[in-house]
Amino acid sequence: MSVVRAWFARLGGMFDKERRDRELSEELESHVEMHIENNLRSGMAPDEARRQAILKLGGLDQTKERYRDRRGIPWLEARLQDIRFGLRMLRKNPGSTAVAVITLALGIGANAIIFSLVNGFLLRPLPVLHPEQIAALAIQQKDVPLGVSGFSYSEFIDFRNQAGAFSEIFGNVLSTVALSTEDRTDQLPICYVSANFFSALGLRPTVGRLIQPSDGEGFGQSIFVVLGYTFWQKRFGGDAEVVGKHVRINGREATIVGVASKEFRGMFSPFEVDAYLPMGAVLAEEGLSQFTLARGQGRVLAFGRLKPGMNLPEAQNSLDVIALRLARQYPATDAGIRVRAIPEKLARPQPYANDVFIVIGALFLVFAGLVLLLACINVANVVLARALVRRREMAVRAALGAGRSRLISQMLTETLLLAIIGGASGLVLAEVANRLAPSVHFPGFPLRLDFAFDWRVYAYALATVVFAGMVSGLPPALRASRADVNSVLRDDGLSRGVGEKHRLHSDLVIAQIACSLTLLVTAGLFVRSLQHIEGTYLGFDPERVLNVVVDPSQDGYDRARTMEFYRELYEHIRALPGVQSASLAASVPLGSFPSRTSVFGDFQPADPKQQPPSILYNIIDPGYLETMRVSLLRGRDFTDADGETAPLVAIVNETMARKLWPGEDPIGESFRMRSGAGRVVEVVGIAQDGKYQTVAEDFQPYFYVPLAQTYASRRVLEVRSAVRPEMLAAQIQREIHGIAPNVTIVDLRTMKQSLEGGTGYFAFRLGAFLAVQMGLVGLIIAVVGVYGVVSFTVTRRTHEIGVRMALGANSTEILVLVLRQGTGLIVAGVSVGLIVSWALSRTLSHVLAGVSATDPLIYAVATATLSLVALIACWIPARRATRVDPMVALRYE
Amino acid sequence: MADKNDVWQGTLALMVLKTLETIGPLHGYGIARRIEQTSGDLLSVNYGTLYPALLKLEQEGFIASEWGVSDNNRKAKFYKLTRAGKKQVEKEAREWEQAAAIVARFLTPGEAER
Repeated sequence: MSVVRAWFARLGGMFDKERRDRELSEELESHVEMHIENNLRSGMAPDEARRQAILKLGGLDQTKERYRDRRGIPWLEARLQDIRFGLRMLRKNPGSTAVAVITLALGIGANAIIFSLVNGFLLRPLPVLHPEQIAALAIQQKDVPLGVSGFSYSEFIDFRNQAGAFSEIFGNVLSTVALSTEDRTDQLPICYVSANFFSALGLRPTVGRLIQPSDGEGFGQSIFVVLGYTFWQKRFGGDAEVVGKHVRINGREATIVGVASKEFRGMFSPFEVDAYLPMGAVLAEEGLSQFTLARGQGRVLAFGRLKPGMNLPEAQNSLDVIALRLARQYPATDAGIRVRAIPEKLARPQPYANDVFIVIGALFLVFAGLVLLLACINVANVVLARALVRRREMAVRAALGAGRSRLISQMLTETLLLAIIGGASGLVLAEVANRLAPSVHFPGFPLRLDFAFDWRVYAYALATVVFAGMVSGLPPALRASRADVNSVLRDDGLSRGVGEKHRLHSDLVIAQIACSLTLLVTAGLFVRSLQHIEGTYLGFDPERVLNVVVDPSQDGYDRARTMEFYRELYEHIRALPGVQSASLAASVPLGSFPSRTSVFGDFQPADPKQQPPSILYNIIDPGYLETMRVSLLRGRDFTDADGETAPLVAIVNETMARKLWPGEDPIGESFRMRSGAGRVVEVVGIAQDGKYQTVAEDFQPYFYVPLAQTYASRRVLEVRSAVRPEMLAAQIQREIHGIAPNVTIVDLRTMKQSLEGGTGYFAFRLGAFLAVQMGLVGLIIAVVGVYGVVSFTVTRRTHEIGVRMALGANSTEILVLVLRQGTGLIVAGVSVGLIVSWALSRTLSHVLAGVSATDPLIYAVATATLSLVALIACWIPARRATRVDPMVALRYE
Repeated sequence: MADKNDVWQGTLALMVLKTLETIGPLHGYGIARRIEQTSGDLLSVNYGTLYPALLKLEQEGFIASEWGVSDNNRKAKFYKLTRAGKKQVEKEAREWEQAAAIVARFLTPGEAER
């Protein structure tokens, strides 16, 4: 109690010092006087009496000093003094302060932005109970790579019932549905959730209730709908009366039972789901038997909550046991099945086999760190330059007894102040940039990415501020505080040339140029990678194509009505003016939900252990290849003759032909598809390879079967127009609703728009954009650094230059003199930068497409750009040097 | 340690408090003299350390200060015990007696063995 009180008293003791000092003086004076009186009384001479009194006190000033140390908090007072002094220094040099603050703002802002991206994608925990216990379960079906396929419902149930290490295993299926009220229909991204989904996550409803384990999976029952919070706000204005409301989901009766919590946006937090339906409602899409009974492939994304005290390896063991059991029980479908438990954060957005997201995140954090380092070096240069000017002051302070640590702390305070101001401005910049962040389209999920700043971003920014303050302050502080008092005080402080004293300065500029070059090379590689991707051969012509996705079965159409609808639609669209050609297919390249099936056939090697290949396919009408401009290399296209009752046929792509029938002519060969109930399909043509799921994929096997022979209720209408395809959009919508007023348009976008989405160029564009921004920021900062250092030395060499000119040097010689210094720095910096970039290229090559990470052209262009800009930065102060008037320069001191 | 012992810091606070308790409000010089006299001039107070010690006690709330006039009409700062200070004297005195008693046991051989 008394200790706390004492600290408060000391805190108070830091203020009102003058009064306190005066009181102390008076008190000590009265003390001394009393003592003198006493001494006089005992017969001392007056002088001796005073001397003894002060001696006994231990000196007046010493006593005062000791008293003051106790009165306030000396450490804190020294810091406050440093801050006051630092602020005065910053105000005194507004120009260099502005440069330092701006560079730091750019550096710290860049770091905050990159970190907020990484945070949004990978670090922010799910807003659920004990998120650290949640693991994603990645399933590796026998013929599909890890994480590409989900669990089938039966497998999901097997794992859920058997996994002892988890208190709960729950799952969801991402999809889109049409939700209709009396007056309108919306197409929503939703997830079908297992009955224990919300309870396992420990979530609470905003209003109403959530789907509960006691509801069961909801097969064949009326559908319960839980709305997402944002959708509820947007669509129903946050009205609590919405609970109990009857709506239609894909034409089926459904009841809204509640609204999910505000923070929860689904299992991948940057993406937002609009509603949650019981898994039983999936049936409307797939048919009961196929969904509940099929094994080997599925769409259920599963998660587990670890039992308390259980760790991942233990959980993994229990999963392995179940997988082995299933493989033995269902060898035909589940042989080779594997399930890996991955911490939920590392499995975003989906548990893929490679950790490319993490690599990219780490890589960009490193680049942002380089930018910050560049900024720090600039600040260090500014401070160092100032310190050189202040050498005299420093030396005087040292001579007067200021300790070295005090001098260092004073300079560090200055750079920390700069870093704090720069960091605050940087955060403002980053917030603004963040607001402008684009929303990204992923097939079927036109969702907002949420990279809002939370405490993690602020904590990271604070860490970068402290780092920047220390890194930029320490080298000049150590350097300046080491100055030898004697030599500095004797030195006039002006005529010194670029001698040993400027080594640190030069080293910093070299480091800066090196960092900047690394960033430029990276930017170049990313841009080349984007160019490569944009130039890749897609296998179809994306120009002037509009894709419209409809699914009448979602609105309650049966098969006959659906077929009739499509037939009519096709006729109408083809007759529209401006339409060159149109076709229908089950999917389009880079669109959502491509179908995949295992194929069997004579090509199969005798080895029974070898799994049949799983291959993507599309179901198309006879006009598809022509509309999409996929060239048919050999054989024939589908015709109307390939009807329901005709022999089953397929067109395979080049890769499939080469892989399944190496060295043979596949035309006339046949294979069986598992999804087609094992029917035999004959190959009648070979089509060109293309990109099917993402633009960056390697060519993979793919085949086409006719729509007339394989029914699909969900279809994409492809329209190739003679005009800009956007112009047709309204008309096509009118046509669709003219034929069937209540059919929902699931998706409508041009092929070009799809190409810019998540499966297209988006990631490459974002990467290139960020890399170029950082390259530019780095270049600007480095150029400012070079300019600052060269012009600083020019100023300091004014006297020397004057002498040279007086002795007859002409302006060219002076120009060369100054430029030589700059060139030396540039050459050294570029050399170091080339080595660093080359060392980094190995990591980079993981995230680049179609470009070598050591592409000499990029290195050459980056080097040339940087050298040229840096030379110009040297040339400006060099020019100034040539205009020095010798007479003025000589009188300069 | 020729003739006089220096007062060590920890006990100085107790002596100051005890002095103020016995005599009532007193100024710094008076406190110092009083301590020296009470010890029979065996202790010598370094007057310079007395003032930070007084400040510390004041900050801790055990004493309070006030300007006043001394016996010989000199302006001086007078210190007096606060309520918390009175409790503190008792507490510290008790602790000191305990400590002294323990040490004393070690110093009287017969006592320690028993």
